[in-house]
This record gives sequence, structure tokens and C-alpha cells, in this order.
Amino acid sequence: MFPLDSIYILMFTSGLLGGFGHCVGMCGPVVAAYSINLRERKYLPHLMYNLGRVATYSIIGGIMGLIGSFVGVAQSIERFQNITMVFIGALMVIMGLSVGGWLPFNKRIEQANRLSNLVITARKSLSGSGGIGVFFPMGLVLGFIPCGLVYTAFIAAAGAGASSVSHIEGILKGILMLFLFGIATTPSLLVLGRIVSIANTRWRNRFYRVSAVLMVIAGIIFIYRAL
Amino acid sequence: MKAIVISLLLLFIYAGIGSAVTADMPDCAVDEGPCAKKIGAVEIVFDIKPKPVKAMRELSFSVTLKGTVTDRLILDLGMPGMYMGKNEVVLEKTADGIYTGKGVIPRCPSGKRLWRAKIINNGKTIAEFLFNVSS
Repeated sequence: MFPLDSIYILMFTSGLLGGFGHCVGMCGPVVAAYSINLRERKYLPHLMYNLGRVATYSIIGGIMGLIGSFVGVAQSIERFQNITMVFIGALMVIMGLSVGGWLPFNKRIEQANRLSNLVITARKSLSGSGGIGVFFPMGLVLGFIPCGLVYTAFIAAAGAGASSVSHIEGILKGILMLFLFGIATTPSLLVLGRIVSIANTRWRNRFYRVSAVLMVIAGIIFIYRAL
Repeated sequence: MKAIVISLLLLFIYAGIGSAVTADMPDCAVDEGPCAKKIGAVEIVFDIKPKPVKAMRELSFSVTLKGTVTDRLILDLGMPGMYMGKNEVVLEKTADGIYTGKGVIPRCPSGKRLWRAKIINNGKTIAEFLFNVSS
């Protein structure tokens, strides 16, 4: 029933193949946005973020396997996915403007307003100053970013659930399928995150400004796609 | 200023790479009715219902074959130029020469709407149809 079945190999392969093309394009801006603020830390924030993301995929995969229907579950999480996209997009725009020095949020000032404090707190969290722990919940939330490749994986999980003899089997199949898929998408994002961190360390001044502009553009695209 | 120019250049390169890979155009107006192709002696008619064909909802796919006989077909759904994972619909024979099955076309948040349906018989692709999907 489990690992010897080719559907699991297929899910892993799908994630691996999709990772370097699809995932870098969709999740790449988010990974780049938090990687640019990482200083000396190496892989742990990236691993925590991806663990959170994979956990979300696995949970939804389990739900798909239980219900046995992709459309019903997808429709019920669609609104939350769109809200997540808008929120992340807005945060990336503000962060990009801040990183580029076009907003006066680089240092805490006396009588700072709520927005500036929010941005400073977000930047500190994303740089890991608030602890590594922030990356896991961030991954959990950002795992809801809508993605066609992930939808296809969910469709497969729902199909596996529909053909299961029991709800338990459907849930376990769905979880395992999406876990394998999610794990396989991780290497590409790990590589991207490390490249951004290294590039930022070596060419800080020029890279910071370019990254800031790209972050703003990516944030606007995220919002546009969600609306 | 230099940062903005470099960023726009990177963005155009990224968008350009995507566009170059997806030079395909739709050859099937499936929203208006079934699409037909003749490959050698075999005539293939492909249809999707309900219409308009929308992503993220259950769709009924049908293929009518004239000129050949088989027990089942596989419909492989994908996007030209963008790997979307393996999404195959099994089409079972429901009448003479008619094969039907249900499946879902996922929404691509990039906004791209062009999809490719490959009709596979015994591991061999016998026809492809390119069509647009509403989101």
C-alpha cells in the first residue's frame, strides 16, 4: 500500500522536477525576500521555513485524501490563499521599499508610528533576530500560497483518497504523497536561499538595491495575482 | 537609478525566457464546441463539459475515435512551457468509439490559461489539442 507503490515515486519526482522551474519562480521571491536579511546563519532558517511549508502541504494532502475531492477542499481554502497572497505581497512591497531606503523604517525612532514599528519588527523577525523559530510558522502560512504545481499534487491526493477503502487510508496516503512532494521541492529553494544570502554578503551595496526593487515588483505581482 | 535599470533588465530576461518557451497558440476553441483532428486514417474528436471550460472545477472529458479500436485512453493535461506535474485522466470506453472520464484543470496563478491535452493510446500520443481555460 505504501512506499513500493509508484504513485509515491511519482510525487517525489514531480516535486523534484517542478522545484527548479516552477517553485523558484513562484516561491523564489519570498525566499529571496527573507534570505536577503539573513546574516551569518546558514541552512537552519531555510530548513525551518521549508519544514513549515511541507507541513502545510501534508496537512492539506491529508484532508484531500480524507474528503476524496479536490474541488470541494480547494474552494474552501481559496479565500484564505488569496488573503495570504495579498498580505505577503503587501509585506514584500513595504519591505522592499524599506530595504532600498525609500521608506524611513531602517531604524527605530522616537515616537515611531505603528506602521514603522510593524515593518521594523517584521524585518527583525525575518533576519532571525527574534529567533530561528519564526521561520517555521512563516513556512506554515506561506505554504498556502496558491500554486498550480501544488494543486496538481492535491488532485492526485484526492484521487488516491477517493480510491481508498477507508478514511484512515485516504488520510495517510494524502499526507505521505504531499510530504514526499514537498520534500522534493525543497532543494531548489534551499539553493536559491543560499545563493541570495551569499550574493548579499559579497556584493551588499549593489545587491541590496537591486533586490529591493525586485522585491517591490514581486510584491505587486503577488497582489495582482490574488485580486 | 542603476539598481532600477538592472532590476528591470533581469525582469525582462525572466519574462522573455518564459515567453520564448511558450510560443504555442491554441488550436482548439473548446468553449465553442468539440474539436476534431484527423491523424492518418484516425479521426479524433475532443470535448470538455461543462462550458465555458473553467479551472478548479470538475470537468467531463470525452474523446471520440473513428478508425481505431481500444479499451481505454489516457488524457494527459499540462501547460506548454511550464511543468505542472502529472495530471492524467483515465478515459473509459462508454460506447462504441466514445471514451469519457472526469478530471480537474488546476488554476495557474501566473495568469496563463493555455493548456495542452495529449490523448494517449497504449503509451503512444495519438493527438494533442491546445486550448484556453477560463480561471
